[in-house]
Amino acid sequence: MNSKDQQLTPVSMEMHYKVTGFLNMEYRLLDEERFSEWLTLMADDIHYWMPGIENRRRENLLSEGFYDPNHMAFFDDNITDLSRRVARFAQPSAWAENPATRNVHTLSNVEVFEGESESELLVYSVFQSVRSRGQDEEYVIFGRRRDLLVKSGDSFKIRKRLILMPNATLSCKNINTFL
Amino acid sequence: MSNLIKTIDTTDCLEGIESVCDIEGGRISGEIFYDQKIYEQELEKVFARCWLFVGHESQIKKTGDYITTTMGEDEVIVIRQKSGGVKVLLNACPHRGNKVCFSESGSTRGFICNYHGWSFNVEGNLIGQHESGIYEDSNFDKSKWGLKEVAKVDSYKGLIFATFDPDSPTLEEYLGPMTWYLDSLFDNQEGGTEFVGGCIRSTYECNWKIAAENFVGDILHAGWTHDSAARAMLGGSVAKVSDFDESYSVNWNGHGYEFALDTVGNVAVLGDSQLNKYLHTIKPSVAERLGEFRSNMIGSVSSCTIFPNFSFLAGQNTVRIWQPRGPNKIELFTWVVVNKSAPQDIKDRWRKGAMMTFSPTGVFEMDDGENWEYCTKTAKGKVTAKQDLFIGLGMDTYLEDTDLPANVYKGQLNEANSRAFYQRWQDLLQAKSWAEVPNRNKGKAEVEK
Repeated sequence: MNSKDQQLTPVSMEMHYKVTGFLNMEYRLLDEERFSEWLTLMADDIHYWMPGIENRRRENLLSEGFYDPNHMAFFDDNITDLSRRVARFAQPSAWAENPATRNVHTLSNVEVFEGESESELLVYSVFQSVRSRGQDEEYVIFGRRRDLLVKSGDSFKIRKRLILMPNATLSCKNINTFL
Repeated sequence: MSNLIKTIDTTDCLEGIESVCDIEGGRISGEIFYDQKIYEQELEKVFARCWLFVGHESQIKKTGDYITTTMGEDEVIVIRQKSGGVKVLLNACPHRGNKVCFSESGSTRGFICNYHGWSFNVEGNLIGQHESGIYEDSNFDKSKWGLKEVAKVDSYKGLIFATFDPDSPTLEEYLGPMTWYLDSLFDNQEGGTEFVGGCIRSTYECNWKIAAENFVGDILHAGWTHDSAARAMLGGSVAKVSDFDESYSVNWNGHGYEFALDTVGNVAVLGDSQLNKYLHTIKPSVAERLGEFRSNMIGSVSSCTIFPNFSFLAGQNTVRIWQPRGPNKIELFTWVVVNKSAPQDIKDRWRKGAMMTFSPTGVFEMDDGENWEYCTKTAKGKVTAKQDLFIGLGMDTYLEDTDLPANVYKGQLNEANSRAFYQRWQDLLQAKSWAEVPNRNKGKAEVEK
């Protein structure tokens, strides 16, 4: 553990349990195409970010290593952007979504720490998204995630999400889901 | 022996290409999207011969800055020289052929092969090897064993192109009067353009021509295919292209640009009023620079492909190459282009807007992938592959009487550019050398500089 991690304070078992329950519920909403409900889990000031991963030598790394906030990204979204994506899924004329894409999202390696303020939580996790389309298409995307949750009543809202795929080339044609 | 790549000996042309690509009859066959033999001919007679887009000047500003890409399936390094010029080198060591550069971009003083330690400088010259003494014992002449260079490199308004074929026309001849139209995006302001950092790469199970042809002249699909995305971004359907009073399809040497003159139809789908506003703000200066006509194109409903596989959308400012990876697979490289002189906030908005619409997560691009993949995959069936595919819209729309450069056709809802694209493809496949490629252009070749 490096000094950066030593400064992190794990939350109680009870809080850990609540957070994993929340994140599992979030993924079930996505798998059940309940996008409008999913959207309500986002804080109004959400930054939903999945930067492009660049395959670079160790001596030529970017500000964040393999990615950079000023470079291209798969998602670099605020709440309006996310709402538009959800609106597209809802259109009957989203021809490519009929038959629907069938999703299974899983989350593991969950670590929950106290955030910078009392209302915030820092969550590290690993995700896997398996999509099947049509008769026989299957796409798997996996990666690491860093979420900033904010407590909201008995539940949480997602204020920041950083999604890091290891791939510098996406091995399929699109990401028609959220991660 | 020079460091230039040896010209490959052209194999015989395939018989019967005209039966799967009958341009005058307005029909093609799906076979051209799935056949391995045709694909191998394409690598040799299209990709090893044509000028291919390899990068933007802004990606390699200083000596030793490089990007890696492919020309067809050949891997190359595009690297800035001390002289200010650009070299395009084969990314393969001349000892055993191993790749010498494994990163997509960076800055370096040279490349060292991981296998036997052959070391090359920025110019590609071999400057040393592990156990160099034993090479001297074998009378090894280092000067003969540098990284091989492509035959020609040239650029137009920041866009760098390269060709493997020493007998190819010049880039100027190759692009012809299409440059007049390219300027509407790539030279509409002082200082020209730059690429935003990064390159998003994705993989489609489709033939490269399907994608290239979609951008060369198929706005027809937009109103139908992209209805859901338009409703999400605009709150309504996309602009009804058939309502435009004036629009064109222009082509030259297989390149094609289809466009309306509505200034902001393309940029509008990014759903960011600040970008519309920026284009309206610069429009008077564009009119002064390029004339009234082209100032109407800066973000209008439009698309373009420079033959064979370099495409862009003005307004969305997405720039891409459809890299062939077999008859039924491509790697898509996408970048975002912005005016160098634009405020940083506007550049950021374009970076986000382009990705929101045209990228693997883009709400528009998600509609396309499915179509392109299945246009390819259905041709797996031997009977289906022989089916006639209609490509005959706008057969009698050529405009004789126009001052516009290139081959000009009335209306952008038109398959004239697609036909010209496949005609060029067929011509190249049937030619043993550049000298045998017929000139099909009939429009105005000259453009004012």
